[in-house]
Amino acid sequence: MEAFLCTEDLCRHFGGVTATDCVCINIEHNGLRSIIGPNGAGKTTFINIVTGRIPASSGKVLFQGCDITNKPTHELVKMGICRTFQITSVFKDLSVFENVRIARQARKGGSLKIFSLKKHLREVTEETWNILERLDLQNLAAEPAKNLAYGDQRVLEVAIAMAGTPTILFLDEPTAGMSPAETRHISDLIQGLAEDISIVLVEHDMDLVMSISDAITVLHYGSIIAEGQPDDIRSNELVREAYLGKEE
Amino acid sequence: MDKHLTIPDNDKGITAYKIAAITVLIAGLALFPFVITNRFYISLINEMLIYGLLAMSLDVLLGYTGLLSFMHNAYLGISAYVVGLFLIHISPSSLWLALVAGVIFTSVVALPVGWVQVRTGGLAFALLTLAFGMMFHTIVWKWYGLTGGDDGLMGVPNPAITIFGWKIGDSGDPATMYLFTLVIVALCYLLTRRIIRSPFGAVLEAIRENEERAAFIGINVRMYKLFGWMLACMLAGVAGALFILYKGYIGPTTMSAFAGAGVLMMVLLGGLGTLWGPLVGAAIFIYIQDYISTMTEHWEIYLGMVVVLLVLFLPTGFVGLGSYFKRLGKE
Repeated sequence: MEAFLCTEDLCRHFGGVTATDCVCINIEHNGLRSIIGPNGAGKTTFINIVTGRIPASSGKVLFQGCDITNKPTHELVKMGICRTFQITSVFKDLSVFENVRIARQARKGGSLKIFSLKKHLREVTEETWNILERLDLQNLAAEPAKNLAYGDQRVLEVAIAMAGTPTILFLDEPTAGMSPAETRHISDLIQGLAEDISIVLVEHDMDLVMSISDAITVLHYGSIIAEGQPDDIRSNELVREAYLGKEE
Repeated sequence: MDKHLTIPDNDKGITAYKIAAITVLIAGLALFPFVITNRFYISLINEMLIYGLLAMSLDVLLGYTGLLSFMHNAYLGISAYVVGLFLIHISPSSLWLALVAGVIFTSVVALPVGWVQVRTGGLAFALLTLAFGMMFHTIVWKWYGLTGGDDGLMGVPNPAITIFGWKIGDSGDPATMYLFTLVIVALCYLLTRRIIRSPFGAVLEAIRENEERAAFIGINVRMYKLFGWMLACMLAGVAGALFILYKGYIGPTTMSAFAGAGVLMMVLLGGLGTLWGPLVGAAIFIYIQDYISTMTEHWEIYLGMVVVLLVLFLPTGFVGLGSYFKRLGKE
């Protein structure tokens, strides 16, 4: 069976440091794949290469059979490959609505209409409201993004990515710095999304990862050391060593 | 109205109040040459309008796309020289053809320059505008045979102003030329305002806010930066055409880095990202410049001081005055 998204011997060096070391990963259509690993394991670097933020040193990324290695980001988005950022990256001075609306417009088209008004893109406006309602942001629609509480900004981050109608969505630590209640909110949201699309989740919150993942990949020093169902990973000796160190 | 079709923006768009204000302002400016026939004041306001258009075009780049150009006046200059040369060497009476030639030639120059510049951002972009601008300045300054070098381009004929074959007046007449400038600047303002509020303008604002994220929602950032740059340069080209028609002369100092800094000050004095702010900023700048230069030839020193004070006490520019007074009222 052809994988939905896979990488072949993907490598990335930063000077002498190998941040991603011959990673071969197969991500299936639909479902939730988590990527975990100790700090500095190369999780974010991996996502950055796949989503076109930084070029690969060698190796390939294949999406539905096409080679998408080192393609410009905006082309990847048009293919349905979207992401969120570990450090919140929104359009700070624009309203919450406009943050999502512009993302919807960029995906759907109409950006070259120089004599229309924004409201003339009716479908874009309508779908923006739908996304905001789904994420319970509709009451903050007119608020500039910078005025939002941190947790709401993280949700907005997901909303912007969703506006790109992804078929595969990379979430880079969506719950970083969130309260338990906010984490639950995001986790419900992610589970809902995973019913329709593929999710690749980088996360440090082990309880969250273990409870919602369909499959887990563990990275350590840039390489995959284990892969499997949450239960397999929990009992895996190598993973234990990577996190806790070797028992003497 | 269905809630799902409205956009909850703070911006109310065109309101009756705004239409009234704009109409009164334009009518007032249109009546000006009939009330005050002093040629000096007419050409002063004419210059304010032309530089206002240039400052507004820089605002498209700086205030909306987030790209800093140190020498936007270079594109005014290129267009002015081309229009002037067209009128001298090709056709002394074709006003519209000369204007179109000026804007097209400016675009042809701006396109490859922009293509290089949009590969960068931030400070690198600003430095490239300076590098290209200085090159253009030097070419114009040293190419004596074509441009008149230091002496400038002189003897530009005054074509008749016609609309669809109807003669309206002569561009050599200050009042007529002033009204012509007013109409063109007003049209450019309304057109640019519309473009900025379009879905296209929204893309430029997204790039200004967060270039990286803009790429990650599917925007071809370089392409749209180039579009923003081209729009700004074409508007500067229109300003250049008006400049040469009104002055009948242009010298290389108009294209200097020093003059470029002046345009930037106009934008900042007026208020970034508002379009009409830079128009006001240009008027203030040119008025101060004119007023001080009647008293001392070292006007730059005093203008500099005024700008320092304005930047310190009115950092958001003239358009920030409104909220400043509101705050005073509350205290």
